[in-house]
Amino acid sequence: MEKRKLDLLVSVVVFCLMALVPVFVKSAYWLGVLVVALYFSLAAMGWNLLGGFTGQFSIAPATFCMIGMYTSAMLVHYLHWSPVAGILMSIVATAIVGLLLGWVCLRLRGPYLALTTIGFAEIVRGLIRFSYDITRGDLGLSVPKLFGGGGHVTYFYTFLGVVVLVQLLLYFLIRSRVGLYLQSIRDDDVAASGRGVNVVGWKTLAFTLSSLICGLSGGLYVHFIGLASPETGLIIQSGLIIGMAVIGGMGTLTGPLIGGLLLQPLSELVREFGVQHMLIFSLLIILAIRFWREGLYGSFRKVLARVS
Amino acid sequence: MDVLITGIIMGTFYALLALGLSLIFGCLKVVNFAHGEFFMIGAYVYALIALKVGMNPFLVLIWVVAFGLIIGLIVERLLMRPLYQKYTEWGAMRDEYAIIVTFGLSLFLINLANQIFGPYPISGPGLMPMKERVLLGNILMMSSHRLIAFCVGAGVLIVAFVLVRYSPWGKIIQAVSQNRFGASIAGINSTKVSSIVFALSSALAGLAGALLCPIFSAEPFVGALPAVKSFVIVVLGGMGSVPGSILGAYLLGVLEQFGAVYISYTYRDTFGFVILILFLVFRPQGLFGEKAREV
Repeated sequence: MEKRKLDLLVSVVVFCLMALVPVFVKSAYWLGVLVVALYFSLAAMGWNLLGGFTGQFSIAPATFCMIGMYTSAMLVHYLHWSPVAGILMSIVATAIVGLLLGWVCLRLRGPYLALTTIGFAEIVRGLIRFSYDITRGDLGLSVPKLFGGGGHVTYFYTFLGVVVLVQLLLYFLIRSRVGLYLQSIRDDDVAASGRGVNVVGWKTLAFTLSSLICGLSGGLYVHFIGLASPETGLIIQSGLIIGMAVIGGMGTLTGPLIGGLLLQPLSELVREFGVQHMLIFSLLIILAIRFWREGLYGSFRKVLARVS
Repeated sequence: MDVLITGIIMGTFYALLALGLSLIFGCLKVVNFAHGEFFMIGAYVYALIALKVGMNPFLVLIWVVAFGLIIGLIVERLLMRPLYQKYTEWGAMRDEYAIIVTFGLSLFLINLANQIFGPYPISGPGLMPMKERVLLGNILMMSSHRLIAFCVGAGVLIVAFVLVRYSPWGKIIQAVSQNRFGASIAGINSTKVSSIVFALSSALAGLAGALLCPIFSAEPFVGALPAVKSFVIVVLGGMGSVPGSILGAYLLGVLEQFGAVYISYTYRDTFGFVILILFLVFRPQGLFGEKAREV
């Protein structure tokens, strides 16, 4: 079967399984964990579009999530917009920021994007922490939730629906001509530009789309948690997102999804044993990139190919 | 005047960090995102040995350098080797690998420190008693630790610069950074050179961490901000250019201090980023870099 179709099929299976989860899991705590896992999956899918498919490395996916969060949070808090409008605006805001940042540093080849984004991450977090009168700094900005009533189940299905939608869009994007352009840039940008691909333009587009997906996930998340705080933009959070994509399988559609859904609950489990979950996580990132490039989903695909 | 001097002092420590970073970029053609964590390790080693063993702080500095060298060698051996050994097989993947592996390493070291020492800051003793002040030509009062640390840092910086620039070993390093393949044809063991460069730059970063330890205490996240600044500096100076990175370090140190005094103290850490963006837009090759050339 064609590679991407298999990706889509497995994603659909995963989505169906996920949709059944609330039937069996009644604990509000674990449902909450799964909602957070869906948030991370969404952000990891966004990062993967850039890192996995276009070969450009941003170190700041969590920063874009945080920008999304604060955009929506401030609009709702100060201008009393509805959360849905806030979330839509957080998509717009992150797209604009992504476009500008991408325009600045994607004209250059080499590690400039990674360098700029790591600086960007620290600076934006600093700005939000120190602009005390507007953002309330480290205390965080409390915001109303998306649904007045409704338990975690409502949130779970909303998040799941958004993830399904984004996954479908990504599927069509990657299979389209644009997706091929992006992958050709990843594999060999010189050859790609030799064949007439507008390398800088498509790279910037990929960065914008990736930021936008992160912004969307952040906007949703803030109205689930009910608090926007600068903690969510820590480099470590970006590390979690990138780690989920890498361990799940970079450059596949399903990898980041599986990565987020498996690793977030796993790190909750690990936390109960009193070990820093990030310690294990970062070790896994190093080992995965060093010895196990295809990730969870890549291995799964290999096994499947051998069986069939 | 004292703003300028404070800027120059900070610039010296930035230069220690940025020099190592740009040497690594020159030789290995990768950016080491775990550079700030070498800084952190230096600070911890200094604080712990000085406090627990009670050794003379100057002797501890030697331990810090030794420790930095060893950590650098280990990291290079375990994680950096595949970058240039299986060159053909890796091909286009090397940037991707280098960014993620050093970023993962940075997270790992931060969390390891967090697990072992906890998030509490540990402050090391000064090289001189911290309370003592010296008067410089009736203009400036500063703690004598700051002065001595500056002298040590500047001394090491000058020695390192002269070594890299003029000594035969430095010439070897330059050869490898200009053309790894050509250098190995000329009989240079470029693998060995890379591992020495990596160890050296890790030691320099550790030294900077140790010297600043009495001012910024050792804690798991202490390396993040200096590292970000040294990334800015490396872009500012032109990727891989040694004189450029040192000049960039002083420039950033001074500009930051002036910004903190005359514009806004709260947002002092953002100036670096503004400078970075300006450079990326208007002069992407940096102060001393050349326009990118294809090989």
